[in-house]
Amino acid sequence: MFDLIIRSLTQRKMRTGLTVFGIALGIFAVVVMGGMSEHLSTTYDKSIKLLAADIMVQPDGSGTLDESKIRQIKRVPGVKDAYGALYTPLDPEQSGGGFGLSDLVCGILPEKQIKDLKLTSGRYLVPGDEYKAVVGSSIAQKFNLKVGDELEIKSKRMKSSSSISHTRNVTVVGIQEYSGTMFDSFVSMPLDAAQRFYKMENTVSFIYAEPAPGTDSSLLAKRIDLSVEKVKSRSPAQLRKDVEGEIVFISLITISAAILAAIIGGLSVMNTMLMSVSERTKEFGLLKALGAERKNILFMTMGEAALMGIIGGISGIVAGGIITYLLNKSFEAQGSALFAITPRLVVIGLLFAISLGVICGTYPAYRATKMSPMEALRYE
Amino acid sequence: MSNNGNNGKKGNNGNNESHAGGSEPVLRIRDLKKTYMQGRIPVHALDGVSFDVRKGELLSIVGPSGSGKSTLISMIGLLDRPTDGSVFIDDVEITKAKESEAPRIRREKIGFVFQHFNLLSTLTAMENVDIAMRFTGTSKNKRNERAFELLTMVGLGDRVKHKPSELSGGQQQRVAIARALANEPAILLADEPTGAVDTKTREVIVELLKGLSEKGQTIIVVTHDMDVARQTDRIITMRDGRIASDTVKGIEENEYEKRYDLQN
Repeated sequence: MFDLIIRSLTQRKMRTGLTVFGIALGIFAVVVMGGMSEHLSTTYDKSIKLLAADIMVQPDGSGTLDESKIRQIKRVPGVKDAYGALYTPLDPEQSGGGFGLSDLVCGILPEKQIKDLKLTSGRYLVPGDEYKAVVGSSIAQKFNLKVGDELEIKSKRMKSSSSISHTRNVTVVGIQEYSGTMFDSFVSMPLDAAQRFYKMENTVSFIYAEPAPGTDSSLLAKRIDLSVEKVKSRSPAQLRKDVEGEIVFISLITISAAILAAIIGGLSVMNTMLMSVSERTKEFGLLKALGAERKNILFMTMGEAALMGIIGGISGIVAGGIITYLLNKSFEAQGSALFAITPRLVVIGLLFAISLGVICGTYPAYRATKMSPMEALRYE
Repeated sequence: MSNNGNNGKKGNNGNNESHAGGSEPVLRIRDLKKTYMQGRIPVHALDGVSFDVRKGELLSIVGPSGSGKSTLISMIGLLDRPTDGSVFIDDVEITKAKESEAPRIRREKIGFVFQHFNLLSTLTAMENVDIAMRFTGTSKNKRNERAFELLTMVGLGDRVKHKPSELSGGQQQRVAIARALANEPAILLADEPTGAVDTKTREVIVELLKGLSEKGQTIIVVTHDMDVARQTDRIITMRDGRIASDTVKGIEENEYEKRYDLQN
């Protein structure tokens, strides 16, 4: 029977082509949009895992934190240790733009480096390093850096004109391996050197609080908020929840736009199939007169719809794969990928395409089985 | 247009087993009734029709439009259900069959030939014959073999790869006849088989049907064309849902043949 399905589809090349294109377009949208949110969520997921069990303390509102807060936080019962980190955009001219993760200079205490991030070459920062840096893999690729190379960092004074008032080279001492996290876009350097260069002495962006063993980090986060003024603390669980909420929200917007496109593709299958069924009144009547069972006719019509779904789905996924690959390539040159085509996404896309075909083929197929053989008998 | 003058028994009840001797009837129809509602007015498309058809018989059903010929043939072909009465094919009461059994009965017992051939335009002659056997679970090799054999029999052995659009009307109808015979049906039902072809082709088709009948194939032809009907063994004339006349020429076969030869 399969050859008959193929025959029927190739017979109406133009129409089949347009329908398949409709589905492909919908699935393409699903893949590209989905790829974007998949990338976001995997990146954040991995990043959060690397942050271990520390509570993240940030200013309540915008701005920075004074280092005196570190001492206050250290005094909160249950806090084993607390340390600050300073984040500034690597290129002040380009801060906070676009979808991807922006490149950041991260001032940290050498002893608090995340050692889970392996190095491909060089070494970690050690106490006493001044203008030395460990760079993420994206940064290394973007600026074509090797250990021993110099990387220019810029600072822009708030009050002066837009011109960059100060630049300085730091020496790359280590390069991290690709982790698929936001740390790939980090330039890590000693906190004190960063503070000095950016003229932000005694200032940090975030404070990380390590809970003492046996301390519930959620409760501790609340305790920090109560004990220290004008800060907002988030336990790892809370952080994860917040990020997930954001990702779900972004995903919801992108995916629903994509699904809308796919449903339009599905409707075009339905329209095509209805047209094709009513055009073939005689054919289905004839097949019935020849002794075709309901299931034979259902198989033929549903098969047609499902096949269009499969072809459209595969083309959509392939097209989406190619486009996102090319986009990723061009973004990678700037240091960060934008899409992740996960196996899960491919399966979802394909299943979605097939079920779209089948669901939208059901009613036309049902109509086909209802064709009276008498029609075939009499009418031209 | 005058009907044939033989206005025999009207509204005959009971059996028409008028043939002396002969084989078992392949088809038995008993008091078949079909009533449609046209708005609120009941229309008796069939009003108590009974007759038997023996194996190998070539029977034509004639009558004006609306006389019930088509209704009758769709009952025999299990395409429609009667209001009352029974149709037996090979002693099986097909009118009692469940809806789910209808496809199997259609493909095993009935072969259809239509006025407009109804070949699938995308398929070759071979595939058009083949498609009738697809629903029976026959292997592909057997199907191909049988399709080729049948097409050769109807004189199209050299046209098996042709699409319907590449065949003449007569050739298309012969493909349709081959298709109808594919599953060795008990009865070949031909609904105006010559209605869409010229007179020359008509003769080819009638000859083909006659040849099949001689080989033992039971054939029922519904037709408007008295020239076709006159060449069959037996003519049933329908009028207002009843059998107006049932003329068997086969009783005096020799005489009939003589007459036929004279006409030529």
